[in-house]
Amino acid sequence: MANKGIKYGLTAVFNTASDIYTAAAKVRDAGYTSWECYTPMPVHGLDAQMYGLDEKGFPIRSKVPRFTLIGGVTGFFTGMFIVWYMNAYDYPLIAGGKPFFSPIFPFPVFYELTILFAAFGTLFGMFFLNRLPRHNHPVFEHPKFGRTGDDKFMIVIEVEDPKFDDEETKSFLNDIGGKSVGLIREPEEF
Amino acid sequence: MSADETIGISGGKTDLSTKCLGAAAIGLGGGLIGIFMGVANGDKNPFLGWLWGTTFWLSIAIGMLMLVMLFRVFNSQWTPVVRRQMEHCLAVFPWLGLCFLPLILVVWFGGDQAGVLWNWVNPASDVPVAGEVHKVGHDVLLQKKSSYLNVFFFSIRVIGYFAIFCSLSYWMRKVSFTQDRDGDSKWTQLGHNISAAGLPAGALALTFGAFDWFMSLEYHWFSTMFGVWFFAASIRAGLAVAIILCFVLATRTDLKGFYNFKAHQYDLACLSLAFTVFWAYISFSQYFLIYNANIPEETFWYVIREINPNTGERTGWFWVSMGLIFGHFLIPFLSLLWYRNKVEPNKTLKIVVWILCFHLLDLYWNIIPGRIPNSESAVGYDIRYVLGTQLIWGLFTLVGVGGLCIWAVLKSYRESDAEIIPVRDPRIKASINYHE
Amino acid sequence: MSSATTDMVKPSAEILKKVKPAKLDEVPLVLNKRSLHWITEKICGIVEAKTPSWWWWCFIFSLLIASFTGMGLLVLVSSGVGEWGNNNPVNWGWAIVNFVFWIGIGHAGTLISAILCLLKQKWRTSINRGSEAMTVFAVMCAGIFPLFHVGRVWFAWWLFPIPNANNIWPQFKSPLEWDVFAVSTYFTVSILFWYMGMIPDLAVLRDRAQKMWRKYFYGFLSMGWNNSNTHWRNFEMAYLLLAGLSTPLVLSVHTIVSFDFAIANLPGWHTTIFPPYFVAGAIFSGFGMVMTLLLPVRAVFGLHDLINQKHIDNMCKITLATGSLVGYAYAMEFFIAWYGANSYEGFAFINRAFGNYWWAYWIMVSCNVICPQLLWFKAIRENTPLVWVISIFVNIGMWFERFVIANTTLSRDFLPSSWGYYSPTVVDIFTFFGTFGFFSVLFLLFLRFLPLMPLAEVKSVTPMADPHAGKH
Repeated sequence: MANKGIKYGLTAVFNTASDIYTAAAKVRDAGYTSWECYTPMPVHGLDAQMYGLDEKGFPIRSKVPRFTLIGGVTGFFTGMFIVWYMNAYDYPLIAGGKPFFSPIFPFPVFYELTILFAAFGTLFGMFFLNRLPRHNHPVFEHPKFGRTGDDKFMIVIEVEDPKFDDEETKSFLNDIGGKSVGLIREPEEF
Repeated sequence: MSADETIGISGGKTDLSTKCLGAAAIGLGGGLIGIFMGVANGDKNPFLGWLWGTTFWLSIAIGMLMLVMLFRVFNSQWTPVVRRQMEHCLAVFPWLGLCFLPLILVVWFGGDQAGVLWNWVNPASDVPVAGEVHKVGHDVLLQKKSSYLNVFFFSIRVIGYFAIFCSLSYWMRKVSFTQDRDGDSKWTQLGHNISAAGLPAGALALTFGAFDWFMSLEYHWFSTMFGVWFFAASIRAGLAVAIILCFVLATRTDLKGFYNFKAHQYDLACLSLAFTVFWAYISFSQYFLIYNANIPEETFWYVIREINPNTGERTGWFWVSMGLIFGHFLIPFLSLLWYRNKVEPNKTLKIVVWILCFHLLDLYWNIIPGRIPNSESAVGYDIRYVLGTQLIWGLFTLVGVGGLCIWAVLKSYRESDAEIIPVRDPRIKASINYHE
Repeated sequence: MSSATTDMVKPSAEILKKVKPAKLDEVPLVLNKRSLHWITEKICGIVEAKTPSWWWWCFIFSLLIASFTGMGLLVLVSSGVGEWGNNNPVNWGWAIVNFVFWIGIGHAGTLISAILCLLKQKWRTSINRGSEAMTVFAVMCAGIFPLFHVGRVWFAWWLFPIPNANNIWPQFKSPLEWDVFAVSTYFTVSILFWYMGMIPDLAVLRDRAQKMWRKYFYGFLSMGWNNSNTHWRNFEMAYLLLAGLSTPLVLSVHTIVSFDFAIANLPGWHTTIFPPYFVAGAIFSGFGMVMTLLLPVRAVFGLHDLINQKHIDNMCKITLATGSLVGYAYAMEFFIAWYGANSYEGFAFINRAFGNYWWAYWIMVSCNVICPQLLWFKAIRENTPLVWVISIFVNIGMWFERFVIANTTLSRDFLPSSWGYYSPTVVDIFTFFGTFGFFSVLFLLFLRFLPLMPLAEVKSVTPMADPHAGKH
């Protein structure tokens, strides 16, 4: 790693899920706020270790469902609107002795559009909350980053954290059991 | 450990078991008076009420039996803690069979009034056919299906259904309770195998049960989907009662701490959500296909649940139907989508009690509406009212059978030497440690 | 009150002491205690290794078969739908049969990825990606038939809610229009689900890539995924939601396909059990296809540790269960056809079993209902080649099921004077036969370029993923 570039954060590598699970709680208790865990698979319960529980004792949950709900409601009413507009308003045609518009016969259409829009809402909601697509990221500069998709676990405490201090944070990461603690720098060109 | 300690209500003036027996005596007594009066006057309403009140509890038990077998077949890891509570509930089947007996006895010994509930039983009963009132015995449609719809075969079948339910529930309880004592894993294997064979048997029993008890009330009408509807409805009811029961036990007994609201209740509520959708899917598809095809031999069943064909005006049944769409589907569906409503017990409890009430209404809607033959009417029949005496008789039966069922469950808790959780189940640790 | 009851209370120590689980020998989902790194190497290795020569041979052979569809469609488009065997009274011949057949196959993929996900069936992890790919490709094969049956395929856009030259909109009272919405939604959502599940794996391939084109290809597709807990958290929620959305979707798609028949007032078609019956049949046929595909894949790539006997057992059991459900539906149809006392309905079913297409009916019953019953036996489930043969029979049986439903009813309806007998033409046969090649081409490309199993999910079911390892 070159010594040029803006400092992004300090990294510490862990070997097992249970190591990072205990370490995460210690980082949280130490009062850090801008930090992140990198894992090869979702680790069960890591959320609660990182963010704690809310005042009622529930884990803080992802906000993706809101996007799904918005998508679903939009889809349902879009379906209703197109059927009403096309078959009852713009060009009414008698077919099958049924009313021009009714909530029953075109129900499959409302239903499918509800699901379609909700699915798009979910995917784009996930992208939005994860700030994707973002094809580059400072952590990619870390030589061991590739291993976080394989079998290593990593904690990164960012420079912008108010508690961040080169030396103190470094020794803290060593204390909680992190291996090969090191600095990530963002290349300046970007 | 006594049931009263288990449920934690000892110390009162009368214990819960005795109260339940009291309720059973009053309720069933009232219902039986209705049945005697019904036989005497040829009044169908007490019978409809009795059928409604009994099948409500029966559907809960059937739902739980199917769930227990499904859990076993799936080798499910999180369920043993919950499954044990359901197994206690399965003790009710023989008692429910007993509650069904009066209806069968009337079919055999009712004399002139044998066909008072199921009109095809008595060839001298009236049936509306094409705007006129005919005798059942002269109805071609009945003659064609008389090799199925006859008193003898019908009784054999009802006995068969209860034999299937009782023996499956006996084995489900036995494999689980015995394992508590000897800790042999062969019981798990046996339970798995019995469930695999029991699911088709149970499915057939509940399907034909639904045909016989409900669909043959209007023997002109037929729907291949009807058995699936009863399955979906039963599972919903079984899940609702399981959630209520586990809540009661987990707040007052040793189940405390083993039953995790954020895990076990959450998953039960998720299943409840899934079966809410499934019930709606089945009910909607049945309606939708009959609506679209618009064939009079099928549509009349829905017509009498919406309007009075003599006048074309909406009846009270229309509002019951709407109530089912919104109350039995939309409101529980939307509420159960929210995470909090699945994990916070007092919120979940409200929703499942709501579901149970509407399940009662769903059965009411499927059983009660009917064509009362009347040659004076334009279409040859009148419609039964939503609020009639069947409701009063039904409430008696509901309380009576309910009292009997709760008493039987308490008895099971008291007399079987099973622990509150299946301590020797191979998957019990996974179930206890199960978290969100 | 709520907080008092939701707070975890300590369970009674007295009962906890009695907890002594009986020992049960259960096969772990990943055999031989494979490490996380082994799993990554194994699955990424399939994509990163040099293209094996068998792959090329299979690919060329599949292309060759696919060309039959090309020829069939060429003849059809250049001379018109008269080239198909459809004629009065059977106006719906093989085209609808093939459409329903392929779309049904897709359903198992969604079942595995969505319904089993909701049921927390962890064994699904190693088979779900392959089955989802199967779903997408099967829907593509299915789409060919309705698209080309319109005859003038360049007017296929009339199916969509766009006003045509006379400003007329599509008619929403027609089940065929519902199909357009159902199938296109199904296709889109299946691709979304498949793709979203793949993003983390594509990122792993990106990080391991040596060649430039791989870096760009996987880099672009993985959207900058960085394995952070924030990403996983939202991803897991989105995955769960898509599973929750796909479940009612998969039910609705075959339901709407069944409406194509059930809405028509024809004996043998109009029966209320059609929606769940079609769904069960679809899942059944799909599981047949999943086993047909994955058993050879497992053998070729040596994936026995990841798809082990437990997975095969479970797939067999689902096949058995859905096969029996289909049997239940056949029985209900027959019973109600008799119970309903409608002579046309009764005739339709007698005719199915003993009429002009009796052979198709009995092929259907023996493949769909009788043959899966063999899977009750453990010895048969453990005999992989035999399981593979049974899975092929399931595919055959389900094709015949659709054939029986569509053709027996149409060929003999109400008036004997209008009865007829349907036979496919060479063009029909070519078009259908070629779709297997088309499907194989797509599946081979998938095997070559995309991760066959979801790495993170397979890793999640190993003991290494448990943060409490050794603490319970």
